[in-house]
Amino acid sequence: MLRIAQGRVYDPANGIDGEVRDVCLDGGTVVEELPSHAPRIDARGMVVMPGGVDIHSHIAGPAVNAARKLTPEEHRTDVLDRTEITRSGTGGTVPSTFATGYRYALLGYTTVVDAATPPLAARHTLAELRDTPIVDKAFLVLMGNNLSLFDLIREAGPDATGPVTEAVAWWLEATGGYGVKLVNPGGVEMWKHGNRNVTSLDDEVEGLGVTPRRVLEAIAGSVDELGLPHPVHVHCNNLGVAGNWRTTLDTLDTLQGRRAHLAHLQYHAYGGTPGKRPRSRAPELAEHLDAHPEHSADVGQVMFGPAMTMTADAPVSALLREITGAKWVNADLEAETGCGIVPFAYRERNYVHALQWAIGLELFLLSRDPWRVVLSTDHPNGGSFLSYPRLIRLLMDREFRNEQIGRVNQKAIGRTVLRDDLEREYTLGEITIITRAGPARLLGLADKGHLGVGADADVTVYREHGDREEMFATPRYVIKGGRVIVEDGELREAPAGDLLRVAADHDESIERTLQPLFEEHYSVQMANYPVREPWLLEPARRIPARRDGSGR
Amino acid sequence: MLSGVCSGARMPERAATCAGCGCGCDDIEVAVAAGALERLVHTCTIGDEWFAERTAEAPAPARVDGREVDFAEAAEVSAAILGEARLPLVCGLGQTDCESQRAAVALAEAVGAVIDPAGPMQDGAVGAASQAIGLNTATFGELRDRAEVVVAWRADPAASNPRLLPRLRLDRAGRAAERTLVVVDTQRTATADEADEFVELPPELDFEALWAMRALVGNVPLDSNLAARLPLDALERLAGRLRACSYGALLHGPSGYVNALALLTLVRDLARIAHIVALPLRPEGNARGAEDVLAWQTGYPAAVSFARGHPRARPGEFSAVGLLERGETDAAVIVGFDALRHFPPRARDNLRRIPTIVVDPRATETAAAARVAFATAAAGLRREGTVHRMDGVPLTLRAPLASERAGDGQVLAAIKARIAEEET
Repeated sequence: MLRIAQGRVYDPANGIDGEVRDVCLDGGTVVEELPSHAPRIDARGMVVMPGGVDIHSHIAGPAVNAARKLTPEEHRTDVLDRTEITRSGTGGTVPSTFATGYRYALLGYTTVVDAATPPLAARHTLAELRDTPIVDKAFLVLMGNNLSLFDLIREAGPDATGPVTEAVAWWLEATGGYGVKLVNPGGVEMWKHGNRNVTSLDDEVEGLGVTPRRVLEAIAGSVDELGLPHPVHVHCNNLGVAGNWRTTLDTLDTLQGRRAHLAHLQYHAYGGTPGKRPRSRAPELAEHLDAHPEHSADVGQVMFGPAMTMTADAPVSALLREITGAKWVNADLEAETGCGIVPFAYRERNYVHALQWAIGLELFLLSRDPWRVVLSTDHPNGGSFLSYPRLIRLLMDREFRNEQIGRVNQKAIGRTVLRDDLEREYTLGEITIITRAGPARLLGLADKGHLGVGADADVTVYREHGDREEMFATPRYVIKGGRVIVEDGELREAPAGDLLRVAADHDESIERTLQPLFEEHYSVQMANYPVREPWLLEPARRIPARRDGSGR
Repeated sequence: MLSGVCSGARMPERAATCAGCGCGCDDIEVAVAAGALERLVHTCTIGDEWFAERTAEAPAPARVDGREVDFAEAAEVSAAILGEARLPLVCGLGQTDCESQRAAVALAEAVGAVIDPAGPMQDGAVGAASQAIGLNTATFGELRDRAEVVVAWRADPAASNPRLLPRLRLDRAGRAAERTLVVVDTQRTATADEADEFVELPPELDFEALWAMRALVGNVPLDSNLAARLPLDALERLAGRLRACSYGALLHGPSGYVNALALLTLVRDLARIAHIVALPLRPEGNARGAEDVLAWQTGYPAAVSFARGHPRARPGEFSAVGLLERGETDAAVIVGFDALRHFPPRARDNLRRIPTIVVDPRATETAAAARVAFATAAAGLRREGTVHRMDGVPLTLRAPLASERAGDGQVLAAIKARIAEEET
C-alpha cells in the first residue's frame, strides 16, 4: 500500500492535467482509496506521472550485443559498481543489460520495447531481457525480409492474406514477441544479392515475386486481421536518402485505412534529390499524419554527441561505413533479416546532422496530436535514451531551444521552420502524452501509461524545476509495481520486471504449410525453432489479440 | 483449429542437439534404453565422443581432495577457497550452456574474480581484432544458400567441425557445380580433399598473403620482393573469383591478432565490391555463447576482471593463460574444460600449484587433480540449456536422459549462495 499524496498529477488518458490529488497504490495496481494509515509519500509541490513507456528502443539481442562487443573504449570510462542490490556493468551508448535496466528506471521509465529482434535469435533477446532488471519489456519481431513469408505472400496473390496471417501469428507465438516490425521491406533481402537495395515500393525483390508494397499490404493486413494490440511497426524503405519523404508518403498511402506505426519518422522526412543535400519535408509529413488518425509515429530525434547506429537495414550501415570510415559490423541472418552497426557522432556544425536534429524538432512542434507523434531517439541510433531529459527541455523551453538553434549549422536551420522562432512550448501534460500515455496507447498496453483505477502501479514523481532537463533527469521517486525502487537518484531495490508478450492464436495447420519452407530456408530444424525454454518465457504477462476486431 | 502453441512439426521421439563443436547440429536422434544412450543418428566422430564422454560412468557428484563428500560440504570448501583468494580466476565456459555461463559471471563478480572464456588456441584473437575494425559475417543458412565462392583460409572444417561442409553443401558430393571451394593452408588437409583448389601457403606468410590479397583486390601494385615469396598466381585467381562473385565467404580458424586483423580488413575491402562475409570456426560447442553472455552482462566478450567491483577488460593481462603463466592467480574455478590437458605447459604447472574448483560433467585430468570437483549433469544430455552456435544462432539443448545431479549453473549458484551466507 502506498499513497502518493497531494502531488500535481498528470494523467492525460483520464483527463487529469495537473490537478493536485492523491494517487493510491495497492497490490501492484492503482486503487481508488486506501485507509488513512497507509504509508505515504508527501508529493506536495511535485509532479506525478505514470512511469515512462519507450515505444522504440534497441536494448537486447544479437545486434545490440555486437555493438557492445565493438566498443570497449566506450565502456572503460563509464562503469557501474556492484552493490548489495545491483549487479555491476558498463555504460556508453550501448550499456550492458543490467546497466540498461537500472538507467531506464533511474530516468523514470518502467516499460521499454525493443524494436527489432530477428525471430531466429529470439532466445538470445529473451535471455538478455531476463538480465535487464526493473523495467517491463517486450520486443517486436522482424518480418519484412522473411523468405518464407515472401513465399506465402507471393502465393496468396494480391487479395488473400489467410496463410500469411496464420504465419504471422505463428511467428509471434514461436518467439514470445509482442508485435510485428518491418524494416526496409524487401531491401535487406536485396542487400544479400550483391549489395543492392530497393528504391521504390514497386521494385521487385529479385527472383522472389514480391515488392515492398505487397509486403506492406500483406503484413499490415495480417496484423489488423489478428487484431494485435500494436499495429504493424514500419521502418520505411530508403532510410536516410534525400528525397525519401515521397517513399514515406507512398508507404502511408499504401497503408491508408489500416493501422500503422512509423518508426523514427525523422530519418524518413528528407526532401531533395538522392545523393544531394537533403532538405526538410517534416511539415508535409506532420500534416499528413494529422489527417490520418489510423497512423502514428515516433520521432527518432537526433541528439548531438555520440551515438551508435544499429539497424536491421544493413545497406544503410554500408553507406555509413563509407561516410565515417569507422568500424563496421554486418551480419546476415538467414532467411529473415540483416544487421549493420557503425559507431557515429552527430555534430552541431555539420549540415546534415543539424538538419536531422531540426527535422526531429519540426515533427514534434508541428504535429497537432501528441498522442500519435511520440518521443524516441531510436536509442542508440539518434542518441542514448539518457538524452531524453535534454530533448524534453528543447520541447518545453523556447528560450533554451533558440539558444541551441543558434549554435548549430545555420544553413540547415534556414531550410526548416525553426528559423521562424516557433512559439510552441510543450506543456507537462503534453510531455506526459509523448513519453508515456501516447506510447502505451499505441502499443495497446491498457494497464500502462495512465493512473486510472486498475492501471499498473508504475509511477514517476518529479521535483518541480525550472530547468526541465534537470527535472526529468533525476526523478524524486520511481515506483514500479507499487514498490519504491528509486529515491533521489538512488536505486532502493531492483526487481526483475515482467516480459510482456502477445497472445495471438494461429490455425495449427499453418505448421504443415511452413514445414517445407523451413526445410528450404533454414539451417535449424523447425521442431527446434519455437522457443520453449520456460526460464526464457516465464514469467510473462500475455496481452491478448482480438481477432474478431472487437478490441479495436 | 486455432492454437496457442507452436508444436513445430515432426518432432522425433528423442531429439537432441550436439554441442561437440561450434556447429550445433540440432538434427540428432537418440535411442534410449534402460536410462542410457543406445544409438545416435546423424552424429559425426566428434559428436560421438561428445555424447560418450558425457554418458561415461561419472565420478561421485562432489569430492574434496578426491574424497567423496556431500554437496553442501563441497560448496562450503569452494566458498572458503574463493573467500581467501586474492585474485581468483574463472575459466573454461566454452563447453557449458549459456545459463551456466550467466551463473559463472555472477560468481566471478561476487568474488571479484577474473573471468575469461578464451580457450587455449588464441580463440579470442579474432574477437579482439574485430573490436578494432568490425566484422562482416553471416549464419550457416546464408552460406549454404547464397555463397558461390567459399575460401577455407587456414581452416580445416572437415577435421575440426566435420559436419560443417555437408551442412553448407560444400563437400564434394553435395556441392553444386557452379559453387567453388578453395583451401589455403600449410599442407593438404581433409578439407583440401573436398576442394576445387588447394593453395599451399607457409604459415609465416599468412599476413603477407592476406595483405597481398588486399592489394590484388584493390588493384594496387605489389612489392616484387614480397610477390616472389607468395603463390601469386593462385592468390590472383582467388582475388578474381571473390571480386566476380555476388556472394562469397571466408571460413577461418583461430589465428594470431595481426593475422586476424589482416583477414577482417581484407573482407571489409572485398565487401565494397561483392557481398563477402567471414565466419570464424569454433571448436568448442558454446564458445560463442560465452562471449555473448559476458558481453551482455559486462560489455566485454573476454578477459574481464571484477577485482575493482566493476568490469574491466584487458585481453592479455586478464586472459586465463596469461594470468596462470605469470602466476598471478591464487585460485581457479574451471567450468567444463580440461585445462591440464589443453593449456600450455607453464600455465598447467602453475594451475597445479593453486587450489582449483572444477565443475564438469566429465571425469577429466583437471577434475582428478582438483581440490574440489563437482561431477555435474551434462547440459544437452541430462539438463536442458541454450547454446549459441558459432554463427551466433541460439539453440536449445535438450535433455534426453534424466539425472538427479545438479547442472554446472546450479553448482556455481550454490557456491555463490554459500559465499553470500558467509558475508551476512
